[in-house]
Amino acid sequence: MSRLAPVVIDNGTGFTKMGFAGNNDPSFIQPTVIATREGGSGASGGPSVPSKPSFLNSSASSNIASKRGIEDLDFYIGDEAVANSKTYALNYPIRHGQIDNWDHMERYWEQSIFKYLRCEPEDHSFLLTEPPLNPPENRENTAEIMFESFNVQGLYIAVQAVLALAASWTSSKVSEQTLTGTVIDSGDGVTHVIPVAEGYVIGSSIKSVPIAGRDLTSFVQNLLRERGENMIPAEDSMTVAQRIKEQYSYVCPDIVKEFKKYDQEGDKYFKKYEGVHSVTGKPYTVDVGFERFLAPEIFFNPEIASSDYLTPLPEVVDTVVQTSPIDVRRGLYKNIVLSGGSTMFENFGKRLQRDIKRIADSRIKKSEILSGGRMQSTPMEVNVISHKKQRYAVWFGGSLLASTGEFHSYCHTKAEYDEVGPSIARHNRVFGTVG
Amino acid sequence: MCLENFSSQVAERHNKPEVETGASKEVLLNPLIISRNDKERVLIETSVNSLRVSIAIKQADEIERILAHKFTRFLTQRAESFVILRRKPIEGYDISFLITNSHTEQMYKHKLVDFIIQFMEEVDKEISEMKLSLNSRARIVSESYLAQFN
Amino acid sequence: MILLDYHNRIIEDTLKARFHPESKPKPVDMSIVDFDGVSYHLATLDDQDTKLALSIRWNCWSELVQYGAMDVLRRDYKQWIVESEQGYDFTLQFDLENIGADPEELIRKVALLKRNAMAAPFERAFDAQSLAEKEDNWDPSSSQLMTIHYRDGEAIYIQNQQDRVTVIFSTLFKEETDRVFAKVFLQEFVDARKKPHLQNAPQVIYSHREPPLEIRHAPGLLDSENQGYITFVLFPRNFAAGAVREETISRIQIFRDYLHYHIKCSKAYMHSRMRARVSDFLKVLNRAKPEIQASEKKLASGRAFRRV
Repeated sequence: MSRLAPVVIDNGTGFTKMGFAGNNDPSFIQPTVIATREGGSGASGGPSVPSKPSFLNSSASSNIASKRGIEDLDFYIGDEAVANSKTYALNYPIRHGQIDNWDHMERYWEQSIFKYLRCEPEDHSFLLTEPPLNPPENRENTAEIMFESFNVQGLYIAVQAVLALAASWTSSKVSEQTLTGTVIDSGDGVTHVIPVAEGYVIGSSIKSVPIAGRDLTSFVQNLLRERGENMIPAEDSMTVAQRIKEQYSYVCPDIVKEFKKYDQEGDKYFKKYEGVHSVTGKPYTVDVGFERFLAPEIFFNPEIASSDYLTPLPEVVDTVVQTSPIDVRRGLYKNIVLSGGSTMFENFGKRLQRDIKRIADSRIKKSEILSGGRMQSTPMEVNVISHKKQRYAVWFGGSLLASTGEFHSYCHTKAEYDEVGPSIARHNRVFGTVG
Repeated sequence: MCLENFSSQVAERHNKPEVETGASKEVLLNPLIISRNDKERVLIETSVNSLRVSIAIKQADEIERILAHKFTRFLTQRAESFVILRRKPIEGYDISFLITNSHTEQMYKHKLVDFIIQFMEEVDKEISEMKLSLNSRARIVSESYLAQFN
Repeated sequence: MILLDYHNRIIEDTLKARFHPESKPKPVDMSIVDFDGVSYHLATLDDQDTKLALSIRWNCWSELVQYGAMDVLRRDYKQWIVESEQGYDFTLQFDLENIGADPEELIRKVALLKRNAMAAPFERAFDAQSLAEKEDNWDPSSSQLMTIHYRDGEAIYIQNQQDRVTVIFSTLFKEETDRVFAKVFLQEFVDARKKPHLQNAPQVIYSHREPPLEIRHAPGLLDSENQGYITFVLFPRNFAAGAVREETISRIQIFRDYLHYHIKCSKAYMHSRMRARVSDFLKVLNRAKPEIQASEKKLASGRAFRRV
């Protein structure tokens, strides 16, 4: 039988991206959430032992009694889960990028595969993603589920940051296809800065920034509330803030000048957001002003939104590169790749590049002065690469990788799993090492 | 369970569970088999510093065999956290525990015994419950499929 | 979710988005799969973003055509059928500027493309049966055994008789666990019909390894431990023309996936049970070593410090 397209699933903290290799976009993007009947208690203990279905009942009434045995099929995932949140309890199986509740995750996959992707897992290879520094036990558990429950044909678990690097190869700015670079991955929950050298994640230098999509949204929400935009219905204020963030926000080169611009020619910059009340159906409008450039600004000046986290993103990136081994630093500066929805703001890349360049240049200058002018360094090349696939960079990278001819030889096959056991997932065939 | 620290007689400065190495006959005690029938039995092997309890789980039919196999595999996969679980069962048995003197020194002996006894009780129960739930699932699944034809 | 959908969700979603009057046409190119090794290719034509083509490829296509698939498809899709795309078996093409009066209906039909293609042999068998029923001395040798090798190593056999139509699935289980689980499930399928409220359901017969009489002469039967045969005996009431017939066809087609889906769900369920049980066992085991933590707690309060 001809080989069918491998399945690529990127389970993130906030959203899951799934689809088939070779495509440009994931077929489904939906919240990583599962709605179950169990209530809150199901989270830790797994399903309670179901009471035994009664075999003595007459068959007519046994229907309801025996339904108890199959209650674990009564759940929804993704958007449907959110829609059913009134009668079901919502659970988020992934926390901070790592799978937290395996029972829920297994069922999430179950429905992803059979209801959404509609494929027979026995016929496909799967590419899943994992966050950097994922404990190998998690990978083993994943392999156990994939092979034993779903009998998948082959499995490859890739590190998200590496896939994001691979995804950037489509950008015209990239001259060579290298797996060395710094990945700035900013999703819904958290932002990571991850240095990767030739496909290896430099674990000791990873830094995370507690500012991501969700924080930006609530920042916009606060701004609107403080300005007294009381047209927004309270229950919609989160979604309105999110829309405004997604539609109107951009990164400005200089915040002071930008304020001036708005004061002088406000008409040109102020926008109006038109919304419809979700309950009454009444339309309303919201003025959109400074939050257009203030929201993404908290990456660069975190003090405007938070009082305990004060390091700007460019500085974090610089620290990450400086703590990495000295021989890869140039490569890391040269190839800074953006990934995730919260890096989609207009000019985000340009501003980042400028700020990092400034820090790097000033350091070089200092060392030149210290050496008394005897040493001349070549200027540091700083490149921030943004590309079209940025939003789903990890998924797209996975799609690229899985559609290559070699992918099947990278996969761990079912036969190998049966032979070796879950510990097979510790070995990565691309790099030939135990990861 | 009266185990004590015992240095290897064969290699200097080694300290191994004697029941595993079996290198020096004089420190091994007579193994003991308790069996209810051919399928369900427990093998206890003791030595001066370690003891091994192996359990063969009841497997009446194909389904129970598969389930028992799955379950023990699942357990051994997590042997890391079950300190006393042997990663590989003794031949002819489904699951083995290896208790050494260091275990008995660190833990309550009577609780360890409790654990093993409870384990044996529950394993059988769990497997037969799994079998029952498999059957009831199958019934629901087939009924809900065929009920559509009405 | 107990029952599986019959339609392909990705096709449905994509077409819904495309056919929406307010959506702007933009290029799209994606490959999709469905159960049983079906691949689809959904793409806009070069330079023409308003023309959307959907192609299907299926290993058993030639067999389906032989059993009259084209007639069924022509009936269902009429004007949308175009020359098949290179490398695919069948192609539909839509003009987004002219999608007809009822886009909803069209979307629904298109999402069922796989099902409709597979429907042909079923319809043929049903028709043949209703003809045969009217004849007094029907010649059994005139019935046709239709074989569809819809998956690698697995096939559906359909045969009409004077008073019934039998559908036989040959199945192959790659793994022992699956085989054992499937046996339990299939046994229940066989038994379920004894229930009074399921009297109308078709009769199900399961045989392991031994092929049923109807197909014993068929070529290419494998004789292995993993091989099983499931027979559905459909009576005319199960395929009375109209909605009942359509439903029956859809349902029988999805049977294999339904079975496999539930085997997998059961395994997932076993996993979660075992996880719960393992954590229970761990709790018991950890009861055996509380003193370490207890003494640490004492240390923190500063009272029992001298004991150490």
